[in-house]
Amino acid sequence: MKTLLFLVPLYLLPLVVRSDVVLTILIFTFVLSILAIGFNVVFGGAGQLTMFHAAAFGIGSYVTFLSMLRFGISFWLGYLVAVLIVVLISILIGWICFKFRLKEFYFAVVTLAFAELCRLVAMNWTSVTNGTLGMLVLEKPTVWLPGSGVVRIEQTVPWYFLTLVCLTGVLIFSVLLMRSWIGRNFSAIRLNEDLAQTLGIDTFRYKLLAFTISNVIASFAGALYGFYTGYIEPAYLAVTQALDAIAMVLLGGVSTILGPVVGALVLTSLPHLIELPAEIRVAVYGMILILVILLMPRGIVGLAAGLSRGRVNAA
Amino acid sequence: MLLKVENLTKRFGGLIAVSDVSFAINKGEIVGIFGPNGSGKTTLLSLLAGLLPPSAGRVFWKGRDIAGARPDVIAALGVIKTFQNPQLFSELSVLEHVMIASFLAFTRMKGHGRLRSFLSPGKGEAILRARAEKALTLCRLQDSSSKPAAELSYGEEKMLGVAMAMMCEPELLLLDEPASGLGNDEVHNLESVLRDLRTHGTTLCIIDHKVAFLARFADQAIALQQGCKIAEGLPHDVLADPGVVKAYLGRSHHA
Amino acid sequence: MTQVVVGQILNGIILGSLYGIIALGVTMTFGITGIVNFALGQFMMIGAYATWYFTDLAMLPFPVAVVFAVALAAVAGLVADQAMFRFTRNNLVNGLLVSIGLISVMESGALLLFTTTPKNMDVVIAGSLTLGSITLPRMKVVAFLLLVAVIGLTWLGLSRAWLGRATRAYAQNPEAAMLMGVPTKALQTAVVVYSCALAGFGGALYACLFSLEPSLGGLFILKGVEAAILAGVGNLLGALAGGVILGVTESVGSLYLPSAFRDAYGLVFLVAILLFRPAGLFGSQK
Repeated sequence: MKTLLFLVPLYLLPLVVRSDVVLTILIFTFVLSILAIGFNVVFGGAGQLTMFHAAAFGIGSYVTFLSMLRFGISFWLGYLVAVLIVVLISILIGWICFKFRLKEFYFAVVTLAFAELCRLVAMNWTSVTNGTLGMLVLEKPTVWLPGSGVVRIEQTVPWYFLTLVCLTGVLIFSVLLMRSWIGRNFSAIRLNEDLAQTLGIDTFRYKLLAFTISNVIASFAGALYGFYTGYIEPAYLAVTQALDAIAMVLLGGVSTILGPVVGALVLTSLPHLIELPAEIRVAVYGMILILVILLMPRGIVGLAAGLSRGRVNAA
Repeated sequence: MLLKVENLTKRFGGLIAVSDVSFAINKGEIVGIFGPNGSGKTTLLSLLAGLLPPSAGRVFWKGRDIAGARPDVIAALGVIKTFQNPQLFSELSVLEHVMIASFLAFTRMKGHGRLRSFLSPGKGEAILRARAEKALTLCRLQDSSSKPAAELSYGEEKMLGVAMAMMCEPELLLLDEPASGLGNDEVHNLESVLRDLRTHGTTLCIIDHKVAFLARFADQAIALQQGCKIAEGLPHDVLADPGVVKAYLGRSHHA
Repeated sequence: MTQVVVGQILNGIILGSLYGIIALGVTMTFGITGIVNFALGQFMMIGAYATWYFTDLAMLPFPVAVVFAVALAAVAGLVADQAMFRFTRNNLVNGLLVSIGLISVMESGALLLFTTTPKNMDVVIAGSLTLGSITLPRMKVVAFLLLVAVIGLTWLGLSRAWLGRATRAYAQNPEAAMLMGVPTKALQTAVVVYSCALAGFGGALYACLFSLEPSLGGLFILKGVEAAILAGVGNLLGALAGGVILGVTESVGSLYLPSAFRDAYGLVFLVAILLFRPAGLFGSQK
């Protein structure tokens, strides 16, 4: 938990920094960190490479918005509907994959297949989703604050605090999760599934749990993202979105708590620090992914942890 | 009678690894299974632990047929197996290994709700930790508890496997060649750990091809050759059985 | 009516052979190097664009252009292997991630060089063939025959030639093969390069039949993987059959169901096969 203290200065940042650009970059960082954390729960935690997190991200956006539209409910209730749907889909897909003991490669391919199916649905069910044109989101999340009553989150600064609070919540949850007996079981499955089974761990159940939690978190990021940008489209469910999240986690450090956040920060701010045409940016992401895997498999956080341990030992 | 094995058979394509094996293990016994390499010992244990599905036959645990059940289900019922080649969780420390193994004990603890444990580990975790440290001490690993398990010696890794198995509170402990690769000192330590376990009511089933180790230890012996049971009874008698001698030495031996 | 259906079946067979050649590459790579090269679709794209470039812009004769294109794809495969895949042997997750990174790099490269404007190659073989009541464009028939020939030669090579037998031996039992003197490192590189060359060849033929866009790689690799799993990863001839089955289903299916569903067939097959017959249609239950 101590590692989360770094969040404190972030809460005070808007008092010092007025730049809209910086705050916007941070908002995107916070939201994409949530997506990356979602991926990390099932990949860095339980060791299953999933390609479904972007689909969950997109489903979070679409279902939250559509629920608000159709049922006239608030953002948060709309998101609860999304959670319900994501949980059901995760259990269905997870059951299919894990019951049949599909090995890692097949799991990645099947989740990719289902993600593509979801994207095709989003693209073609034009009566509901408006297809490739996407949907404009004019509604905003509302929050009840003591003193001000119900507040619509519209300006940059309120969005900043909303997303920061959400990220804090997700981080606290992920710390609790990974340090609990559930997280221990995840690690056992990731490191040696056969051994874990002989010690009495029902690997099917825990893989399913990891997959479901991962998608719920990813859908939360999606809901926030869609409402912040004001626009929802099928590309949210595309493989490229999934790969972005994977790159963030790998760059920041797999299986660490802060890794996804660090990775998200670097990759989100990169296009603003270095002016690059869109195509080259994608190429750079690809290069980063390759270099990280080959040279820096433990990511930035892992590297830093290794260095500090080295220093301690030398002292 | 704790475990009853009936006509257990395992085929891998054309190869019959375990052929029509039947025997029984009673509570509190130490049963030794031995035979030359390739006699099907490890396959037999893997079948019992649920790591392999049998081709035919039944396995009754306290009257219930567990043949073909999942390994974690069998473990939860009280049957725990160790590995001949030590299996580890790479990256994790020795203590973390044993804490992972505490899962079954955790599920059996009363009054420590799993949800509460999630939010704040507290007392349940402390109890398990104490038990883990005790298991490590018994296996003479207490000094290495925060070391990465990958840094242990081969013998220490095997003892870690035993410590993890102990944490699972087994009623029947299946040990796959626990003494192989251990030095004399370590073998003595292993023996005292196993005798301790027996005193506490754990039933043991050990396979090894170190005949002497088994002979002075086991109450019952079963000899396997090429997947078939060729002898059964008191260790002394089984070792004197001419068929067994021939299997080991390749010819009839007149003492 | 029959003309339409048969025409679609034949279209499907040709498309399916393209899927099959990628599936073949996927299966070979998986069997020998233990990873799935998701970037194979990009090597197909290299072959396609290179063929278009050499034929239409450099004005080389078509066969020469194809040879150059395949060589280019092979060289690219060699570079990728030595720079990256060499370090991820048998590490499925890393291999997958690295090949995914490669996809980003290569697809961006294509976007920069060629933009999203579709490119169409000038017709190489014009005219059509009439068999009974069915009329087929000659180019499609030639393409199909060439694909079958190449896949057939590959299969022959794997069953007769020493290198081919060594490859199969290694796929079945790496340790034994090593002990018998099979040069494993060279073999692994050779297989990666060959599968990229195959993909490049597929791309060359693709260029004769369809219009080129940088995104074609992504589409074909997914279909190739689906076909490989459908047939049973590890079964080489089956890879072609798997591809054809997929291709025909898509083409005939598009007659009866809206074209939006086209890509869904492969996905549904994939899930169904993994659920009911994970070894694939032609695979053996190990």
